[in-house]
Amino acid sequence: MGQLAAFIILSVVTLVSAVVVVASQNIVRSALSLIPTLLGIAGVYILLQAEYVAGIQVLIYAGAITVLILFVIMLTEHGTGARFRQVNEQVLPGTIAVAVLAALLMAVFFGTAWPRAAGTLPQYTATSIGTTFLTSAILVFIVTSFVLLVALMGAIVIARRER
Amino acid sequence: MPLPIEDLWAVSPEIWLAGLGLLLLVLDLFVPSGRKAIVGWAAAAGLTLGLVPILGLVGVTPRTVFFGTYVVDGFAIFFKIVAVASTVLVILSAMDVLRGQTQFEGEMYILLTFTALGLSLMAGSADLIMVVLSIEFVSLCSYVMAGYFKADRRGNEAGLKYFLFGAGASAVMIYGFSILYGLTGQTSLYAIASALSGAPRPAVVVALVMALAGIGFKVSMVPFHQWTPDVYEGAPTPVAAFLSVASKAAGFAVLLRLLAVAFASAPVDWITLIAGLSAVTMTVGNLLALPQRNIKRMLAYSSISHAGFLLMGVAAYAGEFAQGLLYYILAYAFTNLGAFFVAVTVGQRLGTDDIPAYAGLGERAPALAWLMALFMLSLTGIPPTAGFVGKFYIFGAAVQNGLIWLAAIGVVNSVIALYYYVGVIRAMFLMPPASAGPVGQPAALQLALGITGLGTLAAGLFPQPFVTLVSAASLLLRF
Amino acid sequence: MDRYLLSITIFLPLVGGLIVLLIPKGQERLMRQVALATAALAFLVSLWLLGPFQVGGAEMQLQERYAWIPAIGVHYHVGIDGLSLPLVILTTLLTVLSIVYSWRVDVRVKEYLFLFLLLETAMVGVFAALDFFLFFVFWEVSIVPMYFLIGIWGGPRKEYAAIKFFLYTLVGSLAMLLAILLLYFNAEPRTFGILELIGQQPLARAPLLASLAFWGFFLAFAIKVPMWPFHTWLPDAHVEAPTAGSVILAGVLLKLGTYGFVRISLPMLPETFREYAPVVAILAVIGVVYGALVAMAQPDLKKLVAYSSVNHMGYVMLGVAAAAGAVGAPERAGAATLALNGAVFEMVAHGIITGALFLIVGVIYDYRAHTRGVDDFGGLGAVLPRYSGITMMAMLASLGLPGLMGFVAEFLIFVGSFGIFPELTVIAVTGVVFSAAMFLWTIQRIFLGPKNPRWAALPDLDGREAVSLVPLAAIMLVFGVYPRPLLEVINAAMASLVTVLR
Repeated sequence: MGQLAAFIILSVVTLVSAVVVVASQNIVRSALSLIPTLLGIAGVYILLQAEYVAGIQVLIYAGAITVLILFVIMLTEHGTGARFRQVNEQVLPGTIAVAVLAALLMAVFFGTAWPRAAGTLPQYTATSIGTTFLTSAILVFIVTSFVLLVALMGAIVIARRER
Repeated sequence: MPLPIEDLWAVSPEIWLAGLGLLLLVLDLFVPSGRKAIVGWAAAAGLTLGLVPILGLVGVTPRTVFFGTYVVDGFAIFFKIVAVASTVLVILSAMDVLRGQTQFEGEMYILLTFTALGLSLMAGSADLIMVVLSIEFVSLCSYVMAGYFKADRRGNEAGLKYFLFGAGASAVMIYGFSILYGLTGQTSLYAIASALSGAPRPAVVVALVMALAGIGFKVSMVPFHQWTPDVYEGAPTPVAAFLSVASKAAGFAVLLRLLAVAFASAPVDWITLIAGLSAVTMTVGNLLALPQRNIKRMLAYSSISHAGFLLMGVAAYAGEFAQGLLYYILAYAFTNLGAFFVAVTVGQRLGTDDIPAYAGLGERAPALAWLMALFMLSLTGIPPTAGFVGKFYIFGAAVQNGLIWLAAIGVVNSVIALYYYVGVIRAMFLMPPASAGPVGQPAALQLALGITGLGTLAAGLFPQPFVTLVSAASLLLRF
Repeated sequence: MDRYLLSITIFLPLVGGLIVLLIPKGQERLMRQVALATAALAFLVSLWLLGPFQVGGAEMQLQERYAWIPAIGVHYHVGIDGLSLPLVILTTLLTVLSIVYSWRVDVRVKEYLFLFLLLETAMVGVFAALDFFLFFVFWEVSIVPMYFLIGIWGGPRKEYAAIKFFLYTLVGSLAMLLAILLLYFNAEPRTFGILELIGQQPLARAPLLASLAFWGFFLAFAIKVPMWPFHTWLPDAHVEAPTAGSVILAGVLLKLGTYGFVRISLPMLPETFREYAPVVAILAVIGVVYGALVAMAQPDLKKLVAYSSVNHMGYVMLGVAAAAGAVGAPERAGAATLALNGAVFEMVAHGIITGALFLIVGVIYDYRAHTRGVDDFGGLGAVLPRYSGITMMAMLASLGLPGLMGFVAEFLIFVGSFGIFPELTVIAVTGVVFSAAMFLWTIQRIFLGPKNPRWAALPDLDGREAVSLVPLAAIMLVFGVYPRPLLEVINAAMASLVTVLR
């Protein structure tokens, strides 16, 4: 019961902040709203008993990435004063579609008998994540590093001014 | 339990490609600014050599490696070959386009190499996470490449549109995969296959539809095709060529593996679903291509309709004609790359992508014009081209699997498609040239054009060697 | 050497065409000479086929069979019999005469000659192919050069005519592809071989699929023939095509459709064809009457000849439909054989006669008057005696005057069909009356009557034009008076076909 309440509160926080991120006209407010969004997700991780992932989420997402974004805004000329009018002519059809989809998904999810797997949670999630990364998910781990390399290269190509 | 050492041999192509990419990164540091083409040639050479480890895997017993996340079978090897070969040809065609247009010339070749790596990974992924990761890998590279020419407004629009659309589609796909995980508790496709047979139907349908959203985006399936014309038009033409062939082919590899393995015994009739999507995709792509005046947009809509034909092959992937899908991909790769390469040449030399600007090309550059005519006829499906044999196979597969209605729709669409393909031929041969003077082509592009033209004709006149290749490849590892 | 004779006949023109492609621009004379030599050689080789050919033989001769795509059972399998041999010789003859006629074409000569030779290879290939895949490949390959010929060297509305031709024909071809696949997947064992499939009759026990396959083939062949109401591409294509293109189009390409009916539809789906034979026959007769009446109303001479083709092909289809109507009725076998003999004879006759007619139109239009209006002329008989003589002979042959080829064919068709579809035959005979009226009226308007002063100084036939026309005129006369050699060749094949259909 307490878990359900916590989940609902965290979800509301996450979703409302996410809407502010996307819809706000003030870019600094938009970036700052990322923090409750990401922290809300960290909270959900904790509810799922994945403390390590929650910690990493706070450190990297809510910490490093949001701070980096704020730095970028600060260092961009006229960055902090930027105002964007978001124009979306399809708000009404979009909302209807989303509502229909949500209703459909809820109907399916509540009507499905989700299988419960037998198993035990590891004592220290960090250890088990580390072991997984070096055994069954090793290919995933290595490929991820290449994805990061390529992302870095791509970011430089896009952001750097052409001489 | 440590990783068995034989697994490393199984990914030797990927190791080669990754090493090549890193090597090119270092090479690019030392190559002076005006001579970046060296990186391009090195990339092409390295990728061509990369075919050696791939071919070395031919004949190996199909199995999963890396604890069930990656698979090695004839099917994956075929798509790796297609990916690497397309990348080599695209690099050859891009060399003239990039020179002088951007200072980041070397990085493009490196990005293409890494994309080839991503495509190889897509072909062999056997785990949901691996699928997501490899698709994201390829997508990230593609977003950057699409918006590469930053001074071009259309290019910016292309890159941004591609990115936003792709991110949305990936999100939906991952959501679908999470439902699959929730239903089965597994991420390995093979484990999911056995667990899905008893799963409740509505949730499986939702998962399938959502997964199709992401993969459908990659292969330009209706209704996830909206990005294609704008991105192909705005991206540099060699990149558009690459997107239309390589990432589409790898997308189909993932789609087929997902459907034929994971959803094999699921309580949902994906064959009818895919058949219906195929019919819609073919028709929409063709009808929207009819009024196009820009060759890149026309080829974009044409590639949407070809995705529809390929979906027909996915729906009919059973029986002796199942290899039709793979033959069509091979034929389509040769032909579409060739058509785009001609567009590259004309775009470079005449500075325009408008179809009316092709007027009189038959007199100004006869070899180029006849090659383009060959590619257009191959896309329509007229013998003796590779495209005809591919369509023949796909129609045969459809008839064999009781999808005669779908084959009939395919026939009608082929006739509709003729109209806009012939439009290009008409401009080139039947109309007087707008300005005189021959149209030359750079050496690398000539090589690429020659290879694609030869491939289109050879696969049409002497299909047997290619058929042997794809029959070996069509054996998909299923447990 | 004899073993490869048929393949040589098929591919020799293509080889010649490739040689022409290699000749550098500027040496047009050499190109024309090479093309002419190739076409003439091909014609002689096709005549040579008569040597090893046994005239009374009932089955396929000079067969060659090599594996092409073993994985799906496709072979390069060619052969000829009494049905295809006359058509092959007709093709090579008309091609060489067309190239002679085209000597004065000077726009993009290289492509023109290459396309002609490629077209010849495709057409001969269709007649000789005994494997469905091979048949389909040659069939489709024949469309593309014709598109270019009409589109580049054609008249004022060439683009429209060319694309209309391409689209129409492609619709039919793709329908045929589905029909072929239906036959293939119902065969036991799976094969694309035409002879094997005729023996197997794979769709004999599946009436619904057989109907689908029949209509698939029907669409492809009916568009090609062309049968009413699928004929609307023909007037545009024939009129806008360059003269030599029209000759090949009318002389050979239309025969691909009728050949398909006799070689494929009839033996492979006999019961289904018999079921729909009345429909086919009615459409054929409509074509006969419609073609003749519309031709009479044409002011453009080329269009007049084009519609007369619809009329003549109607006769052919009446004969074929009658033979189909007699399937399973042994007492009508004789009538069926007569009708089929007439149909095939008409195929050859129409090729010769209408080929000549288009050349005749070209002579007056391309190189003299530059107009085709029938009413623009008058009294040409006095100005151009040799030309008038040949033209009148061709037109009289076309309307079926006894003593010339057309009569033999039409006579056989009518006698044969009367035994099977008597009422329709009577209506078809009225078509003869209409076409007689049309041609006689045309002759009167062009050659007789007061001399039109505009054309008083026109030159008569020159050497090249005579070389392209006189052989055709000679054949019309010789086979009209003594049809036996040709009929013997045809009859052997048709008799064996009718026996199979019994």
